[in-house]
Amino acid sequence: MSILHSANLLRNPEDRRSFIEKCAKVSFGLSVLPFFTRIAEAAESTGAAKAPNAGLPGFGKAKRVIFLQLNGGMSHIDTFDPKAGASKGPGSIVSAKGDMQLTSYLPETAKISDKITVIRSMTAKVGVHASAAYLMRTGFEQRGSVQHPTIGAWAQHFLGASHKTLPSSVTVNRSSNHGNGWFPAAYSPLPILNPTDGLLDTKSPVSAETVTKRSSLLAELDAGFGGKAGDENVKSYNEFYESTFQLMKSTDLKAFDLAAEPAETKARYGKSKFGQGCLLARRLVENGVRFVEVAIGGWDMHATLDDRMEDVGGDFDRVYATLIQDLEAKGLLDSTLVVVATEFGRKPSFEGGGRGHHPLVFSSVLAGGGVKRGYVHGASDAKGYAPEADGVTPGSLHATIAHAAGLPVQTEIITPAGRPMQIGNKAAAQKGVFA
Amino acid sequence: MRPFFLFACLCTGLVALAAPKKEGKKPAEPVIKVVAAPATPVASLASRAVIWHEWTDKEGRKIDAQFCGLSGDFITIQTRDGRTFHFKTDILIPEDIEFARGCLDRSRMNSFSPAIIASAAADIDRLVGVVLSANKQAFNAPATDEQFLRRIYLDAAGRVPTAKEAATFLASNAPDKRAKLIDDLVFSPSYSMQMFNWMADLLRVKDTFAKGVPAFSFEDWLKTRIAANTPWDKLVSEMITADGRLCDNGATGFMLFDAEMPLDGVSNLMTTFLGTNMACAQCHDHPLAEWTQRDFYQMAAFFGATDGKDEAILGAIKKLTRAEASLPKAAVNKIADMNAFRLEDGDKQKLTFPKDYKYKDAKAGDPVTPALIAWSKAEKSLPVYNVSTKTPSQLRDEFARWLTSPQNPRFATNIANRIWKKAFGLGVIEPVNDIDDLTQASSPELMAHLTFVIKAAKFDLREVQRVIYNSKTYQASSSATPDLGKAKYLFNGPIVRRLTAEQAWDSLVVTAVGTYADNVLLRRGDDLKAMALPAGKVTLAEVKNAVDRTKKAFAGGGKAAGGKKAAGGSSLGLANGYEGDKPVSRFSLMLARASELPQPSSETHFLRLWGQGDRLLADSSTNDGSVPQVLQMMNGSVGKLVSDVRSAAVMDALKEHTPEARVTSLYLSYLSRKPSSKELITATKSLQDGLALTDLGWVLANTREFLFVQ
Repeated sequence: MSILHSANLLRNPEDRRSFIEKCAKVSFGLSVLPFFTRIAEAAESTGAAKAPNAGLPGFGKAKRVIFLQLNGGMSHIDTFDPKAGASKGPGSIVSAKGDMQLTSYLPETAKISDKITVIRSMTAKVGVHASAAYLMRTGFEQRGSVQHPTIGAWAQHFLGASHKTLPSSVTVNRSSNHGNGWFPAAYSPLPILNPTDGLLDTKSPVSAETVTKRSSLLAELDAGFGGKAGDENVKSYNEFYESTFQLMKSTDLKAFDLAAEPAETKARYGKSKFGQGCLLARRLVENGVRFVEVAIGGWDMHATLDDRMEDVGGDFDRVYATLIQDLEAKGLLDSTLVVVATEFGRKPSFEGGGRGHHPLVFSSVLAGGGVKRGYVHGASDAKGYAPEADGVTPGSLHATIAHAAGLPVQTEIITPAGRPMQIGNKAAAQKGVFA
Repeated sequence: MRPFFLFACLCTGLVALAAPKKEGKKPAEPVIKVVAAPATPVASLASRAVIWHEWTDKEGRKIDAQFCGLSGDFITIQTRDGRTFHFKTDILIPEDIEFARGCLDRSRMNSFSPAIIASAAADIDRLVGVVLSANKQAFNAPATDEQFLRRIYLDAAGRVPTAKEAATFLASNAPDKRAKLIDDLVFSPSYSMQMFNWMADLLRVKDTFAKGVPAFSFEDWLKTRIAANTPWDKLVSEMITADGRLCDNGATGFMLFDAEMPLDGVSNLMTTFLGTNMACAQCHDHPLAEWTQRDFYQMAAFFGATDGKDEAILGAIKKLTRAEASLPKAAVNKIADMNAFRLEDGDKQKLTFPKDYKYKDAKAGDPVTPALIAWSKAEKSLPVYNVSTKTPSQLRDEFARWLTSPQNPRFATNIANRIWKKAFGLGVIEPVNDIDDLTQASSPELMAHLTFVIKAAKFDLREVQRVIYNSKTYQASSSATPDLGKAKYLFNGPIVRRLTAEQAWDSLVVTAVGTYADNVLLRRGDDLKAMALPAGKVTLAEVKNAVDRTKKAFAGGGKAAGGKKAAGGSSLGLANGYEGDKPVSRFSLMLARASELPQPSSETHFLRLWGQGDRLLADSSTNDGSVPQVLQMMNGSVGKLVSDVRSAAVMDALKEHTPEARVTSLYLSYLSRKPSSKELITATKSLQDGLALTDLGWVLANTREFLFVQ
């Protein structure tokens, strides 16, 4: 459901307003800002009637995105960018499908690596966890005076909501942490802190009979104020209560319910928080959620890297391979982009049984959603210290994801604070990764 | 007896209240062109004396402290080191209880007289009226007593009235009952709670700063200042000029929030205190406004000698503890951060133009000479622009003097506009964080008058709000949300607003436990002192001592020093941080007012779902809706809370003897009004038809009428 509007259309306040209301009515979170001009200012500022990148290879192939965040800083040398010589880690180098090399910590991934694109030339300057994670999550460097949105919020701005009742963006195993950026709070991802709990409070604690009586009494007693409201915001809340009643009765909520998965599938994903989180992510995108972030910690391996690669890395390996296979089996992989993101890589040198932070070069992995299968994009030097040629910045990675998701990458928008912004902070998409 | 135990612990060497910066000879007020607004005699305000007193408890112990407030059985006082104490008056000797009552009367007497209030309010009404009639519009009809009652409770006390409070007001026939209620509320502790919520959103009050550094002392400091009704200019000046560590001086919290991003800090404070938008100019000349990058750097240079982080002490502690495997690393890191984050002015202004500076008016890499921005050329000749930039260590003080002066071209207007928005739902100039162009005001004359009132009140926000609340404009019935894209809103009355997250929560808390919640105060800042190393003593032994002290201070209650709980996980762990009464917990909800809970609450808490800001940016709260809000209100913990048999609203209703009286009582509790005859019949019938009073509580809490203020 694409409702990409031209900037000229959006310049007219009346049209902007109806545009926003249209988005609002179909969104999980409905915006009831006290007046509309603030949001309207976030409309496009340039005259692009359609995305300038439309029609280029890979554009719009990814109808949904799963964004995996490996928190702590995944060591590229011990995973997707193995090195011989002094930089080599405790794992051995193995030949994997798709004509690439991985380490022995990723045996399951090696079996599906003919379906993925590894970017070995990611590069950034930030070596502090929180700021680097922010940069990888948004494509912008962290600032104290503005919060930047995730791709999910950008997509909701340009494409509208992805489903009539379900949220367009969800975070799993992490808080939403201002993911809407400067867009309305309704674009903020819905946080699911525990995947097995799913969405909270969907069932009434009282009997069905009482629920019915309560709701009909509510309708009668609110007829005076709510019923004949002339106020837009009150009307919005009326619709909200209505859609919540509908949601509670609808089957859409099953998207959040892992219990509905076959036991065999649950077993394949495993019981770890990451496994359950990825399974939930698959259920959500399958049911119409556009953008799902799944976070997992444990990658800050300053010490005992060998053990932790087997433990944390092993869990990642099994779950990631399962997710890719599962999406493929369901016929969803070509239209779902799975991104493996981490805040930085780790140093070529060992210190105290582990490696320090290293933003200069690291790896990200893309799969599905129109990217090449069994492909290595870019390279690090022989030591794994720096990119061999031009590196891929987090902003460029974001532009690439946005291109795949069918967003107008070069289109500038004006934020409510009057600042011009574009996806990935003006970086260009990596065209080479697309099939 | 907690307060007196604390009295005994007070050391004398602590910092006294920062004396306001002396301004030289008072220059004449800048001339503001006020159309149809003759000056009100508000300028002749009596200065309000602070009441110091030696308080004695029944056991004969004494303490010297300032009277801050009295509410029912609870008194709030403040000692000279700036700490507040809140306790039941019954531990005091009867003479002092009597004295406290007298204080309350005196502090009221020292405020604007009713005549001044009436006159300043009448000026507002006249100015609004002139603009309305010029545009062939009129005021909305006067609000009913019921509408006014609910509105003033929410605006001035931050919550709805209880059934009893509502019934008392509605039953009164006194002709001045509205003015009297306004005064009762703005002098109650609830006023301080709602002001804290409002300021916390503006000033980005957070339990923890970057890297989990706990910042409760900033909260405590702000609560103290609000309780003492510190004028806005003094409050801001104290924050901008604060020195030292966060644990010793909570006022440093505002500046330290941006310690690692000082340039962002400058653009934030310009927006917060002047309503000027310079964020773009930080990196390039502003594309849509007049500010240049040079303007920005020249302003930022006032902070170029200020340092927020002591890297030396960080390194020293790291070195000292490197070999100490037994010391908990996380605790040591926190202690290191706590001692490293501090505000200190060096003797050199270090800011230079950035390497990529691309304009001709300055050279990349050159040192920046501090200079103040002005919105018009004429302003530069105002005496307040005469600042000295010779002594780098004084730059911040000079800046604060300019910033908070009544002569500053935007300082008074910014706060007046924000306070107006608080009462009416819209600023006279929108958006409130960009008021560079005063002609954008829906009524420039009204904006000028409010600026005048706030200066005449010497930045006393309570007095300004008393004036606004007493105006006919505020007491008109509400308008539907206007479409500002079509036309400016001329203030026919306040607009219909969804309750803020804090108003909604505090109202639900009071319907659950009654006014008990007004006496539950959270104060945790003193615990941070445990983490402070003695000045100049960075030794392993002292670090170890600090670790031990920290463990003790935060033991048991889970007031973890910036740990997950304090950062907003489970609020239940806070139990030991409370003064006065202890909060009640039901359905895993700590039933304290929003100001007395983690700042901000966790993402899944009612407060955050309903739009409490995450406080990463100023003005981050919203009133947007979402399905999870409704789910929680209907089915979740809050749905259970409003349909609970222990609910104060339900118990109040049960004291009545007829079904009709019970329904009426519940209506008063939730909606601050009596039911119509039709509603009474419908509701009473439902009680005979299988629903209980608790169900009716659920129904009323889920009405749109409850969620909105008219």
